[in-house]
Amino acid sequence: MDRTSRIVKIFTRKLFPFILLYGCYLISHGHLSPGGGFQGGVIFGSAIILLGLVEGIRITEKRFREDILSLVKNVGMLIFILTGFSGMFLGYAFLSDFLPQGNVGTVPSAGLILFLNLTIGFMVGTGIAVIFYRTVRHGSEE
Amino acid sequence: MNRIFAILILCVVAFFLFSSLNLDYGHPRGGQSNYYVEHGLKETGALNMVTAIYLNYRAYDTLGEATVFFASALGVFMLLRKDREGGEDG
Repeated sequence: MDRTSRIVKIFTRKLFPFILLYGCYLISHGHLSPGGGFQGGVIFGSAIILLGLVEGIRITEKRFREDILSLVKNVGMLIFILTGFSGMFLGYAFLSDFLPQGNVGTVPSAGLILFLNLTIGFMVGTGIAVIFYRTVRHGSEE
Repeated sequence: MNRIFAILILCVVAFFLFSSLNLDYGHPRGGQSNYYVEHGLKETGALNMVTAIYLNYRAYDTLGEATVFFASALGVFMLLRKDREGGEDG
């Protein structure tokens, strides 16, 4: 039943954490180098999709449960909006930058941009994984 | 009939392609882009100018973008449910 090549399986297992790490790097360094929340999130989600294609959807779902991924997606969207509103309580406009700027070139240098990138990245990554789960399961039913 | 329609579409495409050959995009109007290049790093602290624009100056636009993605993911989540029986009440 298992027709996946052994080479592909082993390489996927070795590569998987590095793909996740690269996604996290793109998300967290979005304001310093090319990349950002959307791109890093897509890489984050494609790592889970790769695992699902190679290892099978059932094993992947045990590691990355769909309800938890969906929860992260919803909470990410909520935090994005709440971050926008949190500036309003301090007297700034909606979604405007109220944090102090650090040294240019370091990771915590751009104030609110880092937090917005993090929320977007995790939302996009988990959202793509959830879409993949749903479509695969829907196709395998019929 | 299909062939006439195809030729018509090809003519329209060719017309717009040839009329766009000598368009000039080299002169930005208004000077807003120069403002971003000059003040972007000082005002936002982000080295990446694209990120500085889409998460600081245009963060409201990005909120809409994220909402579109969220809505599409939610649509897939709702439509492709596992426990759908009969399809009437789902």
